[in-house]
Amino acid sequence: MLGTTWLAKLRGGLAACGLLAVAACGGAGDDDGPVTVSVWAWYPEFKGVVEAFNASHPDIKVEWTNAGTGADHYAKLKTAITAGKGAPDVAMVEFQQIPTFVILDALADMGEHGANEDEGLYAEWAWEQATDGDKVYAIPVDGGPMAFMYRKDLFDQHGIPVPATWAEYAEAAVKIKAVDPNAHIASFGSDGGWLNGLMWQSGCRPYGYSHTTAKDQVKIDLTAPECKRVVDLHGDLVDKGLMAKDPFFTADATAALDSGKYWTWAAAGWTPGYLAGSLKNTAGKWAVAPMPQWTAGADEQGDWGGSTFTVTKQAKNPKAATTVARELFGRSAAAWDIGLDKAFLYPLVKDVAADPAFTGKAYDFFNGQKVNEIFVPVSEKLGDFQFTPFQDFVYGELNDRSAEALSGSRSWDTVLEETQKNVVAYAEQQGFKVSR
Amino acid sequence: MTRSLPITAPEADDPPTPPVESRARRRARRVTARPVAGMLFVLPFFLVVVTFLVVPLGYAFWLSLSSKSLALGTRFSGLDNYVRAFTDPVLLDGLLRVVLFGLVQIPIMLGIALAGALVLDAVTTKFAMAFRLIAFMPYAVPAVVGALMWGFLYSRTFGPFADLPTLVGGDPIDFFSVSLLLVSLGNIVTWAWTGYNMIILYSALQGVPREVHEAAVIDGATPVQVALRVKVPAIKQAISLAAIFTVIGTMQFFTEPQIMARFAPQISAGYTPNLYAYNQAFAYSDFHYSAAVSFALGFLVFVVAYAFVFVNNRRRGKRA
Repeated sequence: MLGTTWLAKLRGGLAACGLLAVAACGGAGDDDGPVTVSVWAWYPEFKGVVEAFNASHPDIKVEWTNAGTGADHYAKLKTAITAGKGAPDVAMVEFQQIPTFVILDALADMGEHGANEDEGLYAEWAWEQATDGDKVYAIPVDGGPMAFMYRKDLFDQHGIPVPATWAEYAEAAVKIKAVDPNAHIASFGSDGGWLNGLMWQSGCRPYGYSHTTAKDQVKIDLTAPECKRVVDLHGDLVDKGLMAKDPFFTADATAALDSGKYWTWAAAGWTPGYLAGSLKNTAGKWAVAPMPQWTAGADEQGDWGGSTFTVTKQAKNPKAATTVARELFGRSAAAWDIGLDKAFLYPLVKDVAADPAFTGKAYDFFNGQKVNEIFVPVSEKLGDFQFTPFQDFVYGELNDRSAEALSGSRSWDTVLEETQKNVVAYAEQQGFKVSR
Repeated sequence: MTRSLPITAPEADDPPTPPVESRARRRARRVTARPVAGMLFVLPFFLVVVTFLVVPLGYAFWLSLSSKSLALGTRFSGLDNYVRAFTDPVLLDGLLRVVLFGLVQIPIMLGIALAGALVLDAVTTKFAMAFRLIAFMPYAVPAVVGALMWGFLYSRTFGPFADLPTLVGGDPIDFFSVSLLLVSLGNIVTWAWTGYNMIILYSALQGVPREVHEAAVIDGATPVQVALRVKVPAIKQAISLAAIFTVIGTMQFFTEPQIMARFAPQISAGYTPNLYAYNQAFAYSDFHYSAAVSFALGFLVFVVAYAFVFVNNRRRGKRA
């Protein structure tokens, strides 16, 4: 479906690989039969990707297990890592989790098997998060550049301008309430990843960590003004009843999006795919705009989520596993056909993201809008952003403290203070020297 | 097994007449064979207990004696984890929450179960049989499914209850709000376990001799008096058994809050001690501290259950 320019080139290249020696293209393994590489991943439609890989790699056979999504997957992975056996050769890991698995000594350095060659292939911010110096801990797959989804029909019908700044966002929230007392501009989902994405977009850089340079030092600065203004603004809207409180991804939140109860969602590059499947009533009524800015005319961007392939230290054949991690998506046109059209992944392979077949793709859900024209520049604008080696704890704190504020048992201006305090205490208890 | 030894000793002293001797020898052979056979019978159980109870417990205890900090690695730390556990505000808050929950929920649930059992015992229609089955049904529903089901029933969009007050002009109920969360959870637990306890108590009531009731009735007792003064005292053992099981179950409160956290973000990582232990291990990779929390919790459950039995026995002893 993406049979244009670079994909055609890529197909040619892969064919050439087949003609040349397997070794020249990073093929691995002994001569006696294909090497088996186990993979844990929860991408939708991943079956086809595995089949495409196995068909193009006679020397490697991928065996795929879906070990559950998110927390379930990580719980199993961490248990297997602690036990010292039972982990897959290749595991899907989200960006914010990479330092956690690095410090657990769970990830093999793919740089030793030539993965540094792939640097130019991926969006810089993603490559930066997946690597540490010349150590390659992960191969990026998909990202979540954030943009502003809104109900175009309702905004048009009531003549409310689409907010270009967060101040206008707050004004729009008032206008929406005036038009429909049951409606809200959006929901505050108490989702650590989402809040983190908004803070990233605000220019806040709350964490700093490098396992190679100083593995026992971490920077935590959640109370910087760029971070605080995000919580202040949204907290104020919640307190005024202009923003709803449903957690994201629940049946209630989805129903609210599909019934005109929520008019917008500051969401990620992967949300269109998620939504297209569940919002049947309002499909075609949504549109995407760039994120509201803190300063009019600025171009600050953030990311919410995204995932990679890692090779675990338990991999029996790290070289073959590295090939799998690098080539499952990275060098496979067939995989991206599935990834883009069926699994709705936002591609971090630069050439796939820049391909006119992707940027020019019109989405029925957005009434024919070519939304990737908005998401792609966002991803290109994303710069350096680091995570802590205990991001689960940080997100857990952000969730729990904002949930307290949502329920009225905590004032919004203490959410980040308390989170900062608890995270610093936790980090020190874990033996880190903490700086701001 | 060892008790058989004194039996053989006098036998050996018997006068050595040939038939007796042979009988004695035969018996001696049987006696030596008996421990082996007995051991063989016990062996499967013993293996299961060692493999699935003693070894995991020992391993968990051993884990709890060392600490793993992310930056510094693993080191032996003795009882440090226990000191940390018993001074951890998150754990203590969770513990307090569960205790408060139990103080309200357990009496309500056992009260309903007892009342239901007494009614079932007094009524002997076909309806009673059907009701027995219906009351027991929630117990057959896996806790995860039950919690998910109630999550939807509580939902403002899909549930039938949230909007009830709006019919009379009130505000819709938010079952996931902090003030109602424990009540909502308590309702799920009560729904799931009342029938189960009711059946236990009902079975105990079936064991009370009918003559006792009849004697009470002949003495002029009303049905209510029979129930409260004759039947309830007769099944005290069963009531305290149900109470102990419920106390232990409450201390281990996990599934319902774990599932409900999807709907209610107010359920934090340390909402109940068991949830906290789970998150320490599987979210924060701290298996050592998780083991210590689990052990501390197990110890508390043991102490509470033992204290309950002790107090119960003493009270019974005094009255007798």
